[in-house]
Amino acid sequence: MNPDLPMITIRNLKLDARTEHGPAHILRGIDLEFGRGRIVGVVGESGSGKSTLVSCLLRLLPSNIERLEGEILFDGIDLLKLSPSDMNDWRGRKIAMVFQDPMTALNPLFTINTHLRDVLKRRFPQISAREARERSLAMLTKVGISDASVRLDAYPHQLSGGMRQRIVIAMALLVEPDLLLADEPTTALDATVEAQIVDLFDQLRQDFSGSIVFISHHLGLVAELCDDLCVMYGGTIVETGPVAEVLARPRHPYTRALLDCEIEDDHGGRLATIPGEVPSATWAMDACIFASRCAHVADICRRGPTVLETVAIGHKAACKRSREVLP
Amino acid sequence: MRETLRYVASRLATTFLIVLGAMILLFALSALVPGDPATALLGPAATPEYVQRFIQEMGLDQPWYRRLFSFMGNVFVGNLGTDVLSGQPVTRIIANVLPYTFILTFSSIGLAVAFGVPLGCYAATHRGSLLDHLLAFVSVAFIAIPSFVIAIFLLLIFAIWLDWLPVMGAGEAGNWFDQAQRLILPTIALSVGWIGFIARLVRSSMLETMGENFIRLSRAYGLSNRLITYKYALKNACIPTLAVLGMGVGRLLGGAVLVEIVFSRPGLGRLMFDAISTRNFPVLQGTVLVVVLIFVLTNLLVDLSYAAIDPRIRRQGSR
Ligand SMILES: Nc1ncnc2c1ncn2[C@@H]1O[C@H](COP(=O)(O)OP(=O)(O)O)[C@@H](O)[C@H]1O
Ligand SMILES: [Mg+2]
Repeated sequence: MNPDLPMITIRNLKLDARTEHGPAHILRGIDLEFGRGRIVGVVGESGSGKSTLVSCLLRLLPSNIERLEGEILFDGIDLLKLSPSDMNDWRGRKIAMVFQDPMTALNPLFTINTHLRDVLKRRFPQISAREARERSLAMLTKVGISDASVRLDAYPHQLSGGMRQRIVIAMALLVEPDLLLADEPTTALDATVEAQIVDLFDQLRQDFSGSIVFISHHLGLVAELCDDLCVMYGGTIVETGPVAEVLARPRHPYTRALLDCEIEDDHGGRLATIPGEVPSATWAMDACIFASRCAHVADICRRGPTVLETVAIGHKAACKRSREVLP
Repeated sequence: MRETLRYVASRLATTFLIVLGAMILLFALSALVPGDPATALLGPAATPEYVQRFIQEMGLDQPWYRRLFSFMGNVFVGNLGTDVLSGQPVTRIIANVLPYTFILTFSSIGLAVAFGVPLGCYAATHRGSLLDHLLAFVSVAFIAIPSFVIAIFLLLIFAIWLDWLPVMGAGEAGNWFDQAQRLILPTIALSVGWIGFIARLVRSSMLETMGENFIRLSRAYGLSNRLITYKYALKNACIPTLAVLGMGVGRLLGGAVLVEIVFSRPGLGRLMFDAISTRNFPVLQGTVLVVVLIFVLTNLLVDLSYAAIDPRIRRQGSR
């Protein structure tokens, strides 16, 4: 494998779903690449297509998909071209996942040990039950679960939400994936627990050699944890680049607006929102997707869609007026 | 462990109370039967002296609470009274036929589960397939047809027209092959409706479970379809299925009564039928009590297996 190549390259990924109101353009051409060992933060309002993007990486998609185009290259192999059984081979081996809601992520009828053992057995078919248990115990301790041997034999309902999320994270780490997808892993948790889980991800970086895609709708959290930032809006990526750079010098009005919300949020205490209409997936892409809510909208914005353009080294934004309004 | 014990104890206690209630109800019914029970039982031809002796022997001249007490006391030591016609203890009469009914019901439930569960799993995992559609259609038909009608058709086709299988009666005592052969048609008659019913139930609960987040998680980790379907999803789908099975045992017993009569097999059903037609009250009472007992015990069993399957129930102590 060429170490210079990015581990993941997503090119022009488009996904439409069939709905009663005609096709919904859930992803409208995503371009993204990142290397090994990176933590990529994906932010955007709810409905912007973040979860769908990770579902594409796992190829676990809803049944009403009408069109799926583009490329997802993982170490040079296009995941979208793999046969279903080959794709399944990547899951739980090269790719692992942490879901948003830890309360429903574990099967209520099976102990934690059964969950972890089956996943380990699938990843390492030679492993014995005893060895699986030992590794699980070590991993539970590592993700900060005290009394690991008691918890291992517990059922999900006997554990708190934060603890369950730690267990799902332990499961992800046990399979030693190259790519860990975390879809809003802290959104369902309260603030204190959220901070603990973010700390946990931060600590895990030290031994984890793979990359993490960390989805959140909380910019502050991403700023703390991630290397790269990717801002999604209406099924597109509107800005991407190194976290520090993007947050210090946002080049897309939407990123700017998100940042302003965040600041207001910290001061005012209530959730600030960007005024205007959230884009619908049924809209046609004949203008800048953010035009309807943009404070800097001009005629040029309504003439054809925008594309991501490099604005600085490794920093791209999809705004035709970027240089004018956000110098 | 403590939780489990407490749960079992509380379920046992409720079961006991239900049986007690059933006994009191049954006793009250016997007291409310219009007319003089002795004449009703013995018929108008009995001599007055005989009626008098009978009343004394049966304790019918005692006050009601005395009778209730001795009735319950007797039941608890397993004495269900004496059959007026044959003079045999009712307990023994019932014990003689009970195995036949048990074998019939259990083989029917077994057959229904053995076919219904895999069919339901298949239909759920192959939605829209030919078998799925076929199942939807056929099961509705079979659920709608009462088992005794199916019994009559089976009897006509396989026993009379094709002459493949011996029917009528339970078979020669000690001849296992003969007994097993005679069990085939009644078992099928009782279970076809249940196969369809269980298959549809398993299918719908399975589909519901398949949409759960935890199943998605198993998929995200590449677990095999077989493991996901038959280990993770099936266990969840078992819970509603068990609930309905528990309720269904009553219906199954009811069906067994008629099927036994159609195939003229010995069993609780036949016994009850004969007791009604000869107005043999002690036998009828005993049989009803045993049926209640079977019903209640099956439900206890179902509840306990719930607790074995679902750890959340064990904790709550009751549902
Ligand atoms: N299977 C589907 N069929 C139709 N619309 C869908 C489907 N899945 C998601 N969507 C729509 O696509 C948009 C993006 O959804 P999602 O990826 O869950 O966003 P996010 O995770 O950013 O909140 C939403 O508007 C959602 O309603
Ligand atoms: Mg989401």
